[in-house]
Amino acid sequence: MFLRFLNLQVKTTMRSPMWQKNLVLNIIVGFFILISALYLLMLGLFLDQILKELMPQRDPLQLVNGVLIYYFFADLLIRFMMQNLPRLDIESFLHLPIKKKTIIHYMMGRTITDIFNFLPLLIFVPVTFTIVRPHAGNIQALTWIITLILLILANNFLATYIKRLLGAKPSMLGIMGLAFVVLIVLEKTNIISLAVFSEKFFRHVQIHPVWTLAVLCYLFFTYDIHYQFLKKHLFPDEVRKKKTEAFNDRAENRYLRSLGLTGTMLLLEFKLYTRNKRTKTILYMAPFFILYGLMIYNSPGSPNQTGMLMFVGVFMTGGMMLNYANYAFGYESCYFDALLTKNIDFSLYIRVKFYISVLIATVFYILTIPYLFYGFRILLINTAMYFYNIGFLSYMLLYFATYNKKRIDMNRGGMFNYQGIGSMNWLALLPAFLLPFLIFILFNKAGNPDLGILFTALLGIAGLVFMKSILKRITQNFHRRKYIMASGFRERG
Amino acid sequence: MIELNNITKVYGSQTVLNIQNLTIKQGESFGLVGNNGAGKTTMFRCILDLVRATSGTVLIRNKNVASDESWKKFTGSFLDEGFLIDFLTPEEYFRFVADVYQLSEGDLNEFYREFEDFFNHEILGKKKLIRNLSSGNRQKIGIAAALMPEPEILVLDEPFNNLDPTTQIRLKNLLKSLQKEKEITILISSHDLNHITEVCNRIVILHEGVIVHDLATNQDTLKILEEYFTVR
Repeated sequence: MFLRFLNLQVKTTMRSPMWQKNLVLNIIVGFFILISALYLLMLGLFLDQILKELMPQRDPLQLVNGVLIYYFFADLLIRFMMQNLPRLDIESFLHLPIKKKTIIHYMMGRTITDIFNFLPLLIFVPVTFTIVRPHAGNIQALTWIITLILLILANNFLATYIKRLLGAKPSMLGIMGLAFVVLIVLEKTNIISLAVFSEKFFRHVQIHPVWTLAVLCYLFFTYDIHYQFLKKHLFPDEVRKKKTEAFNDRAENRYLRSLGLTGTMLLLEFKLYTRNKRTKTILYMAPFFILYGLMIYNSPGSPNQTGMLMFVGVFMTGGMMLNYANYAFGYESCYFDALLTKNIDFSLYIRVKFYISVLIATVFYILTIPYLFYGFRILLINTAMYFYNIGFLSYMLLYFATYNKKRIDMNRGGMFNYQGIGSMNWLALLPAFLLPFLIFILFNKAGNPDLGILFTALLGIAGLVFMKSILKRITQNFHRRKYIMASGFRERG
Repeated sequence: MIELNNITKVYGSQTVLNIQNLTIKQGESFGLVGNNGAGKTTMFRCILDLVRATSGTVLIRNKNVASDESWKKFTGSFLDEGFLIDFLTPEEYFRFVADVYQLSEGDLNEFYREFEDFFNHEILGKKKLIRNLSSGNRQKIGIAAALMPEPEILVLDEPFNNLDPTTQIRLKNLLKSLQKEKEITILISSHDLNHITEVCNRIVILHEGVIVHDLATNQDTLKILEEYFTVR
């Protein structure tokens, strides 16, 4: 029976439209996963040397054991964010003569093959040989790695259980993330030290294998609560918690609508963004765009390289805008026909999308102004890139958006939801990120990189000056493409 | 009022629609029947400029629908759920449509009054998003939204689907009275031969994209339709 389920699962994956239509995309994603895996492997192999370099006084095994508890907490968080629940359409099986037990054990067993259960091993197995064995001997190393594997599996069942119980609400993620940060702060200020507890625990695991048995019991416990939950809720509508949405009229409605048709469309876009899982998830990613600067400006690499700084500027002020503008029509794919048959002025429609793109970039620009702390030059570059974004990139993205033709189901959120992304969307990334860099290289070769920054900014300002005619061209292309968009958007799955 | 000239739609090697000439006069209630795949929805989509016809033109009041958008001002339509904005509440959706057609608050209230019976207290004031309502209620919202701007042309694709018996009768009566009192040109397609013979004064049978019968409705029409579909 298990094998039969497996067979079905393979067919589901191989025949899913994503797999079939997006082979190129899958290869790219697979490539990135491979690279990440290699990085992790490298980390595992060289961790002992890294630790020796960074903290030569401390015993590396102690360090590793101390961090483990935080690792598992972070692991839980990441799984909650990114691990997908197995998509078994139990509705099709419930009425067949298959024991509920079998279905549940299959659903749970399926989670074991998730990649999140194997990636950590890329670090831990090498570490077992390079750090644990030399310090503690063969048998202790064995109990150590076995315990870790058990904990990984326990996390697997726990994370999927929590996800089923609470639904993949972005707010839950926020709360868990906050808890994690609080714990780290407490650790650093030595108020509570879980690291000491963690180090003691894993040391005892090595010495007294009986603790491994305790962890095994914990694993059974996590499996069991998940199992019991599924047993009680094996109904298609209860297997995953669904929110019931209730809404009240708000006063902002009236203000926006008083702006006439522009206001009506702005209001619609606002609701589109805030009431759909897919875009809500993107909104929660906003902090990452802004904090990216911290990563780059602080890194000991070459922070003064103008080209790189330009890229950072474009990314921070324009990353979110890209997410909006590049899929501007795709997001409305579910009701595209409605827009086409109602008395809507399309030049206004597209102008509103341009305004929103500018608004998004502006908000993000304002939020990055504090980076002035890193020097006036950084602010200068960011400002220039901001103009490039609103006056050049926005138009390019909206133009490429008229080549959207894949339906986007707005209610499937999740981190790596690639539904609806087409080849044109990837193409749009070129003027976004590559062009400023190319301009920089050109001007750098000519000897004056700062002129490159000015040139990029001027591109943007020129774009703003010619707004009317550029938007007209985009609208014309929209009319040319609307039939293809409409029929593409109607195709489900 | 509506003219289809040499309209064809070809997908690959399959011709799904081939209509040499079809003229629908103002005030006519036009019914389209045919088995699945006959091309009914495609024909409506061509009329509403949602699909680029492989050849031919559709004229509404002598203007090509593809090049002149003025027909949208007086045409209301509802073909499928792609016409609804599912993340809005019904009230928000109706308000959106009212704004797009520049209807006043008074017009909107008048609309709510007219459709109170049709909605049967299941749609307004529920604080639910359209996507969380039943399919029958979603159908009702779509039909009502098509009628809100008091259009001169109404296009509905299988409107009786998913409606409960009371609403079906209400819709039938609504369509009949609209035709009589306001001389609206109504185009509907349906799988329900009873309803369509009651509502429409002209019925066209479509088979594999081609018009095979064009009948003026009388007492025998229902029998003729049933006979036709029994053989096929």
